[in-house]
Amino acid sequence: MSESASANAPKPSSSVKLVLLGEAAVGKSSLVLRFVNNDFQENKEPTIGAAFLTQKCSLPTRTIKFEIWDTAGQERFASLAPMYYRNAQAALVVYDVTKPSSLTKAKHWVAELQRQASPGIVIALVGNKLDLTNDGGDVSGATGTAQSESESAQDGDEGAGEEDEVQDAVSGDARKVSTREATGYAEEEGLLFFETSAKTGTNVVDVFTAIANAIPESSLKTGRGTGAGTGQTALGGRSAEDSRVNLGDRNAATAKEGCAC
Amino acid sequence: MDTLSDTLSDTTWDVIIDGTGVSQSLLALALSRSGKKVLHMDSNQYYGGSDAAFSLDEAQEWAEKVNKDTHGLSFKDASILKHDTSSLEDPSISSKLASSRAYTLSLSPYFLYARSQLMSALVSSKVFRQLEFMAVGSWWIYAPEQPDSKNGEGAENVLYRVPGNREDVFAATHISMKSKRTLMRLLRHITKPNEDEASNEDEDMSMPLNEYLASKFSVPEELHNPLLSLSLSQLSQQDTSASYAVPRIQRHLSSIGHLGPGFGAVIAKYGGGAEILQAACRASAVGGGVYALDTRIEDCLWRTGSEYSEHRFLLKLANEGSVQAKYMFSSMSDNFSKESSTPVVEVARSISVVSGTFPSLFPIAVEGAPVPATAVLMFPGDMLGSPESPPVYLQVHSSDTGECPHQQSVIYCSVALAGPEGQALIESATDRLIQAEGLPASVLWSLRYTHSGSLSNGEPRRLTVGDGVPDLYMFPPSSLDLAFEDDTLDLVKEAWKKVVGDEVDDADFMMFDDRDGTSDQ
Repeated sequence: MSESASANAPKPSSSVKLVLLGEAAVGKSSLVLRFVNNDFQENKEPTIGAAFLTQKCSLPTRTIKFEIWDTAGQERFASLAPMYYRNAQAALVVYDVTKPSSLTKAKHWVAELQRQASPGIVIALVGNKLDLTNDGGDVSGATGTAQSESESAQDGDEGAGEEDEVQDAVSGDARKVSTREATGYAEEEGLLFFETSAKTGTNVVDVFTAIANAIPESSLKTGRGTGAGTGQTALGGRSAEDSRVNLGDRNAATAKEGCAC
Repeated sequence: MDTLSDTLSDTTWDVIIDGTGVSQSLLALALSRSGKKVLHMDSNQYYGGSDAAFSLDEAQEWAEKVNKDTHGLSFKDASILKHDTSSLEDPSISSKLASSRAYTLSLSPYFLYARSQLMSALVSSKVFRQLEFMAVGSWWIYAPEQPDSKNGEGAENVLYRVPGNREDVFAATHISMKSKRTLMRLLRHITKPNEDEASNEDEDMSMPLNEYLASKFSVPEELHNPLLSLSLSQLSQQDTSASYAVPRIQRHLSSIGHLGPGFGAVIAKYGGGAEILQAACRASAVGGGVYALDTRIEDCLWRTGSEYSEHRFLLKLANEGSVQAKYMFSSMSDNFSKESSTPVVEVARSISVVSGTFPSLFPIAVEGAPVPATAVLMFPGDMLGSPESPPVYLQVHSSDTGECPHQQSVIYCSVALAGPEGQALIESATDRLIQAEGLPASVLWSLRYTHSGSLSNGEPRRLTVGDGVPDLYMFPPSSLDLAFEDDTLDLVKEAWKKVVGDEVDDADFMMFDDRDGTSDQ
């Protein structure tokens, strides 16, 4: 798990809204379940459940609290609402390494994010179901960041991206999307890139750690309010926090009298 | 059914809901969480129908569609005006339109009173967690010839603030002592109606508000418009009955302080009702509801044979094949329109993006109150040189609403007088506000349209049952009121009850636990 229990002094903590995108059944929810609960369910039902899940990710100098928004299936008939994209600071675009059409769909979602989401959003392209390929059990394999070296990828994974480009098209292997193809695309678009297995846990935490590292410090805000409205646009002058009505404190406020007349 | 397939063809549902307005979206949420299989669709590519909110580009597209489509019942006569500001001497950032998506403009701008069923439902259903709420601040009346107005800058010199509680009444400088006493007496009567019920029953509430105020409480005329504005009546004083206005003034007064000091109503950030319905649909999807925008019903068949008892409806969808369902909910303004039990009226509306802010309209009423993000302004007809006209209401939204960039504002206008006459009043009111504030502000962009729907008249709206089709229900036309009308939630509950019957306790309506991971720690 990514959560560190050893922090002596509290580090600055920021909330980050992360949205999931990708074709049905590529394992979006499973990736999150692995990250949040370190759990995996075979043949999981299509997503029904939480509006969003939260999980902390501890970095050397700060703690990122991910608020992970699932599509709740609303992507199936192109029915994601604008509120889904609003103020998202990170996105996980997932495809299935055994299903080429899912990468096509992933490219569509990347384009959609570039159209609808905030300009500074950090996007990670993730090829899931690595366990179905010959790379499956190899924890150190098949990963890398397509962004520049200075993005400081997670421990032990530097340079891994180049190693396995020879792995393409191996017989008896369910892999249908080569690492090279996906890396090339991710590089073109400036995306983080990973291949993962939600089933075995391979690279799952690493994806989130890389995203946490890639979010510019300047776009982080500390603390959070009651709702899911993280990372709201910073307004000059008086802050948006001043004008926000806190319904979380509602019970405390009910004793207040209504009209004084 | 293969729930993973990306096609709806040959699927079977408990309920199909057509249209994603706020009523239908709340119904979808209630039903999906009561274990019903819900298919929720909309013929548009966007959520909300007449409750939608748009970017500038989307508004442009919408306006073109409205003018082309003569079958649409809710809107007509849409026009967009862009004002060229490049000639300004000091073209600062705020004096230019930002990118299209920097705006979220609501076709049906309304706010929520703190004491309202919807507010309670948003809390009990936990939907509020996906929303941010901003305070609705002061009410203002346009009255340019206030006797003791001082010479200074700012809109407060032609607008005066409507007192919302006892402190306000005492502090008000523009009300005589005698008026203050009668006002206090009236407010006491309105907010504590149960103390002398016997006398209440004798009251003739059908008389016009101004007669009621004058004859029962000797309220001087100068206070009639302020009280009318608290009721948000879009009709003139003569046409507004006391039975309509008094409970709404009571709603206003009793809501103040309910969610926090100094305000009584809130709006959801990023588009008000449009944001609420998106959150409701998302929560419905989380509960298993399936969503399909841009999906139009081509044909609807209701089958009588006993073999169809669990799914009498066979709907042919454009591009998606056929689907079956047991219940079907639609709205009057959609495909199944016919005469409605709810009278439909037309109002002129406009949405203006203004290159400036109106700080004087957003005072912090009491210490500890949140900074208001919106203000409500009423321009009485006679103050605009049109004594016979109903009042014009302006809702000024600051950039704190998330609807426009910093240093700009959005002004939503509405008057219950459709057509060019109504639009002229709206333009006049907007101009006067901008002039009064004394800023070099101007309207950068505006959308004008005629909106038809229902104005609450005290009679609760009802669902309509399909003609000869018992499992088809239609929602009445959407409300044109400036505050969310509570009868909408009654409608949703009535609709929910039609489907769940006695399976679910009434008290469980919109009562949901937090899902895993959604609670605040």
